[in-house]
Amino acid sequence: MTLPKIRYFLREALQNLWRFKARHLFSLTIICLSFVTVGVVLSLSSNLRLRSRELARDLTVVVYLTTGAPAAERDAVEAAVRRSPLVGTVRAIGPDQALERFQAGFPDLRDILRNLGANPFPASVEAGLKDPGAAEDSILAFLADLRKLAGVEDVQFNRDWAAKVRGVGRIVEAAGIFLGGILILASFFIISNVIKLNVLARRSEIEILRLVGATNSFIRLPFLIEGVMMGIAGAAASLLIVLVLVTSFPLYLGGSLGALRELLAFRYLSLPQILGLLGGGALVGFLGSLSSIGRFLKI
Amino acid sequence: MIELYHVWKQYQKAPWALSDVTLTIPKGEFCFVTGPSGSGKSTLMKTLYREIVPTEGQVIIGGRNILRIPDHKIHLVRRHMGIVFQDFRLLPHKRVFENVAIALRVLGASPHDLKRKVFIALRMVNLQSKIWEYPTELSYGEQQRVAIARAVVNNPRILLADEPTGNLDPALAHEIFTLFKEINTQGTTVVICTHDKELIRRFGGRVLTLHEGKLHGKDVG
Repeated sequence: MTLPKIRYFLREALQNLWRFKARHLFSLTIICLSFVTVGVVLSLSSNLRLRSRELARDLTVVVYLTTGAPAAERDAVEAAVRRSPLVGTVRAIGPDQALERFQAGFPDLRDILRNLGANPFPASVEAGLKDPGAAEDSILAFLADLRKLAGVEDVQFNRDWAAKVRGVGRIVEAAGIFLGGILILASFFIISNVIKLNVLARRSEIEILRLVGATNSFIRLPFLIEGVMMGIAGAAASLLIVLVLVTSFPLYLGGSLGALRELLAFRYLSLPQILGLLGGGALVGFLGSLSSIGRFLKI
Repeated sequence: MIELYHVWKQYQKAPWALSDVTLTIPKGEFCFVTGPSGSGKSTLMKTLYREIVPTEGQVIIGGRNILRIPDHKIHLVRRHMGIVFQDFRLLPHKRVFENVAIALRVLGASPHDLKRKVFIALRMVNLQSKIWEYPTELSYGEQQRVAIARAVVNNPRILLADEPTGNLDPALAHEIFTLFKEINTQGTTVVICTHDKELIRRFGGRVLTLHEGKLHGKDVG
């Protein structure tokens, strides 16, 4: 295909987009809304996935000691933790240190703690695992041994947390794929119908092109390019909206998000995701327009 | 050269639109197809550019049987033809330049070639000054001249005109026929479908008369 022909097709497609702007604006809005849904879901689920990966990376076993446990028992627990071949790092946290941590993490709840009077946090021993992916059985046996020790109130292992966050991420992803899929399907049909209307509106033009010896592809290409342009423009507009949402949502909710803010980090989409959305828009536009000219543009 | 052999055409259950039409139009001829309304003139024209396929018979254009050419290749035949209609069939949203250029764009002409040929064609129909106007800003006579410029811009071997002056007054019709005659003198075979006997008498040429789909030929002038 020659450069003048490419230029002609692009110009034709742009002129036609402008000529029938009302209907194109409508379909652009639908495409945009569909891709906003997909974009928000992608951002949310990838953030949750990232967070669950981070949680899994610094997996720790926390051994809570009974309040007022004698120093000998505390030392024995710490020594038992250190002896385990599974453990990499060990850190003893006193009640005051635990209180400080909580106050830093949840500043809104300071008043509640003040009303309680006494420090409710027990001393603990935190053990970082050498290999977070170690066999489940050996970790469970280690936890059971710790629970048997004198002075141990409770043993927590945050692998469950990581699994839960990952699970929520999967649910968000599935819901997003379902909802986004339906909306993208709707976009496909809308593009298809808009192109069908364009074909009907330009019947006489198509007739003239046929009579002056235009090939099928010469007649069809501007319609396909129109569809692709609509798809890309819709997806690009959705990327902007997602950017605004991701930036403004935490600002709008401010401190009320508390610890959730860290969990839902509201990071913008990655480059592959951005390219994926743009490519998806182009594909939806192409297929929508192809299905339409296949059915309504018999040459 | 245009050759038709025993061409029959019937639309569904209607009477025969063309009935055993056999004719030969040699290269470079100036020829009229005439007859009353419904006599099959337009059907004959549409058969020549294969807008319709005859029920029976053969249509040979430039030595090729166009009925044997697959649909996706029929554009190759039409590129050697220029077609002019009674209703001009111009694109109202495109300027005169684009309306004429479209016949060259489908051929993939270079921008330089395209501009040059469009200008030559518009100069031939004396509309070079209206190159950037829209068809709706032109008179009927001017619009038909744009349509003629589009039909001849790629130097076709055959020019087919289906009632080209049906919407024009006698003076403009004369002007348009003069143009056709000029195009014919350059070697293009011209086939004009009209029922205007006065113009036929004045311009002369071969006259093919259709009546109820049957051909009666006679030469005039």
